[in-house]
Amino acid sequence: MNTEQKQEKLLFAERPEWSDVDPIPQYETSTPIAPILYTPQYKDATDYFRAIVKSGERSERVLQLTEELIRLNPAHYTAWQYRYETLLALSSSLQTELELMNELAIKYLKTYQVWHHRRLLITLLRTPQPELQFIETCLRVDSKNYHTWSYRQWLLSHFVDDDDLWRGELEFIENVIGDDVRNNSAWHHRYFVVFGCGVRSGSEDRARIVRRELIFTKQNISLAPNNPSAWNYLRGILDYNRLPYSLCTRFVKPYTLPLDPNTVDIVDLENPPPSRGAELPCVYAIEFLADIHEKAGDKDNILKGVDLWKSLANEHDTIRKKYWEHRIREALQSAT
Amino acid sequence: MSIATLNIPLHVKYIQNLGKSDDELMYHLTAHLRLNAVYWGLAALCVMGHKEALDRGEMIDFVMSCWDDEAGGFGAHPDHDAHLLSTCSAIQILVMQDALDRLDIPRVVNFIASLQQPSGVFAGDSFGEIDTRFLYCAVNSLSLLGQLDKMDVGKAVEYIRHCRNFDGGFGSRIGAESHAAQVFVCVGSLAILDRLDVCDADTLSWWLSERQMDSGGLNGRPQKLEDVCYSFWVLSALSILNKLEYIDSDKLISFILSAQDPEGGGIADRPGDMVDVFHTCFGTAGLSLVGYPGLEDLDPVYCMPAKLIEKMGLRKGWKALERRSG
Repeated sequence: MNTEQKQEKLLFAERPEWSDVDPIPQYETSTPIAPILYTPQYKDATDYFRAIVKSGERSERVLQLTEELIRLNPAHYTAWQYRYETLLALSSSLQTELELMNELAIKYLKTYQVWHHRRLLITLLRTPQPELQFIETCLRVDSKNYHTWSYRQWLLSHFVDDDDLWRGELEFIENVIGDDVRNNSAWHHRYFVVFGCGVRSGSEDRARIVRRELIFTKQNISLAPNNPSAWNYLRGILDYNRLPYSLCTRFVKPYTLPLDPNTVDIVDLENPPPSRGAELPCVYAIEFLADIHEKAGDKDNILKGVDLWKSLANEHDTIRKKYWEHRIREALQSAT
Repeated sequence: MSIATLNIPLHVKYIQNLGKSDDELMYHLTAHLRLNAVYWGLAALCVMGHKEALDRGEMIDFVMSCWDDEAGGFGAHPDHDAHLLSTCSAIQILVMQDALDRLDIPRVVNFIASLQQPSGVFAGDSFGEIDTRFLYCAVNSLSLLGQLDKMDVGKAVEYIRHCRNFDGGFGSRIGAESHAAQVFVCVGSLAILDRLDVCDADTLSWWLSERQMDSGGLNGRPQKLEDVCYSFWVLSALSILNKLEYIDSDKLISFILSAQDPEGGGIADRPGDMVDVFHTCFGTAGLSLVGYPGLEDLDPVYCMPAKLIEKMGLRKGWKALERRSG
């Protein structure tokens, strides 16, 4: 352990460079609702923090103190705030700060403050490009982390005119889905990229985009049919582009039936069949087909939809029996 | 080991003993939630009909000790800066304890209103983080204080509208993934502001019904694990949309009950995990909404006693399931 590291192990009360500061102890009254319990290290750090907040000090040692406090308690939002203001007051290198944050972010992936602090830094630094790689690194640790995905969406929105930033995004999201087709966050992000952020140059041919997305989604459904995220995405494409669900009737039907041992492997981009080993029938396919029948509106179709909902309520998706029975009642009422 | 009933006396004791934690470091690391935790404890006690189990005077004193006089709001803990999350909990506690007279209402209203952004959403504090959770905290607090006119309601509603995703759900900010907790804060806000028309009720109630897993528990988004707290986020949203009957309540009840700690009390996120007051609050809240016997009625919009909210003239058109006889 070198001298610097040794210094960090000392309480602030023991460090000569802090001897000019009078620490302020925490609010004294202890109540059974919130008794005072502390480790000496935490008490020490917070006592000194209170002192510099009171005096309004902005200095390098304040950066040192807030860093240690954040490492002790990453959710201490007041410490984060004071640190940020200190960085600005000292005109410190925000790039250096960002690098420090790279280390802390992985450690404290589920803490709101770590991500907000980063947004503030990038807003000032205006260097979004390296963030993409950083986000990917975080996702490798926790592929569905809500903060991480939300941060990526923020980054792309904030720098929406940066074509370089956006250039590799479709490939990125294709890879993430390829790694785990069941990652709902990834499918949501794809929607955000393709439909949620306006029309980017090169994507003006919306019909081509829709065709591409339908093929992509159907292929992924074919690989792993029991994946609600992909089915929700399929609905999303059709809803956003005001296309009827019946466009997918031929595609959906094989997924609503038990596995056919006589199925021949065919390559049909428009209607990829369920892959071998898929668990059939697929609940989401049955739901989808029922919706197609219901939307057709005539009595025959509605009764077909009712049959499908009955199979869900009584056999394939019994946990949602009450929901399917409601759909049946509602549809029958409208049919009369 | 499954437990067939809710062990109310044990959970009351668990909440009473919260301050006597042996794990000092855990206590520290949760200081940023302390005021919220007091609210969760109190809400759970109210649902279980044992509000008196924590001393009213001490609780009010603690709440007031969190007052940040510089900002005009409440921090999570004494010496913590004011934040909307803790300010909301503080106001909820003071209302439940009939102690609003302790509050400097104009100042706190000013603090809350000042956090609204041009886009309509709210920041949590001057640090600037935005989230629909903070929007809910602002709307909830201001409505409890009868001061909704101090915020720009129209802009807030528009912001929520822009958070609506293709699956009918809502996220933490515009562009973010649908998540049950964020659905609750958006739907709750819309209910208070009488703008439930912003919801695509059919799609959203379908999405919410899809949160129930075969175990009976609810998850927060597709293909994630079930967690007891979603019992509240999902159920309250469904209750507000008058679609609570979509849920298999028997299975949900046994899931929540199986997450109890039969020795020390409290409820965990799922069976076998460590309990905490957050999941104890939302587990009991969920049970109340689906009519579990022996519990008090809960207002799903405010997550506060229904009778109290009704007395204040704030009850909206939500529907819970009929209480079963025990």
